Amino acid sequence: MNSWEYYDDLKRLARQVRAENGLKSPRVTLREMRRIYFRHDIELDVWPYKFKSVRGAFISDDLGATVMVAANLPEDPMIFTLAHELKHFYRDRHLRISYCDQSNMDRTLEIGAEVFAAELIFPDADFAAHLKQMKIGKNACSPKNLVQLKHSTRTTLSYAGLAIKAERLHFAPPGSLTKVKTWRSLERELRLKT
Amino acid sequence: MPIGAHVGKQIRELRQRYNSGEGISQEALAGHIGVTPNTISRWETGVYRPSLEDLEKLARFFAVPIMRFFPSEHHDEANSDQLLMLLRAAKQLHPDDLEELTKFAEFRRARRIYAGKSRPRAGRKGSKHK
Repeated sequence: MNSWEYYDDLKRLARQVRAENGLKSPRVTLREMRRIYFRHDIELDVWPYKFKSVRGAFISDDLGATVMVAANLPEDPMIFTLAHELKHFYRDRHLRISYCDQSNMDRTLEIGAEVFAAELIFPDADFAAHLKQMKIGKNACSPKNLVQLKHSTRTTLSYAGLAIKAERLHFAPPGSLTKVKTWRSLERELRLKT
Repeated sequence: MPIGAHVGKQIRELRQRYNSGEGISQEALAGHIGVTPNTISRWETGVYRPSLEDLEKLARFFAVPIMRFFPSEHHDEANSDQLLMLLRAAKQLHPDDLEELTKFAEFRRARRIYAGKSRPRAGRKGSKHK
């Protein structure tokens, strides 16, 4: 299985998890993530002490399966991290420990976890359908369009996640959205006009 | 000795040895941990058992591993924990993050010892440490 097949397989798994857990919208909440963890008997620890770059970790050993997530994460990134660690539960238990920080983001397993998490929260097909409904075609998605999409769907996928998805699905040219750092000011701007 | 009494004895010992033997009062320690002085006294005498989260705070205050509060037979269990060995081998992690993850792994093992069973209670899933 090459990397792309591996990522496609993880997307299928994510959609299956959505179906099994009744996740129907792109707004996956902390409560829903906790319910999935509970169903699988995964211990969840929200760790109150600070990390430099670790967002979360998955551990599987004689004590069972545990996910640790950094308490200082805002809600959307925390949900994404819980979804990311869930992939390690499904596929990487043999590794005993996986941690998620910036130093290991180029590894296939970690990219796979990001792909799984993004699909679990907002499946590609639903994302494309929403943008088409907004009459946005190939390479036509602007940062403002993404802000509108996030607000209309109330998705818990972060702007960073939405930007990666839009570029990967060719709704925007590479780098046109992923380099944007001004999402919050765009939000404020759009709210002033409405 | 019951584990609660052992933990209490360790707290008292650490408190008395604090700052090169100068010690720290129960009042001052209580202020650092965020409990009342009475609570410290009751922990030390084994009347109350500190929560694992309180033990983590105490371990950080005294700069000792959380396992320090447990009887020595558990220290070997922690030292031979393959997970901790894996963590020590994780060279690409920032040293501060490696230390924090190690503390988490020790906390997790301490929880098993403290709970006295192989799996944590289902009811505490998702609880946020205070």
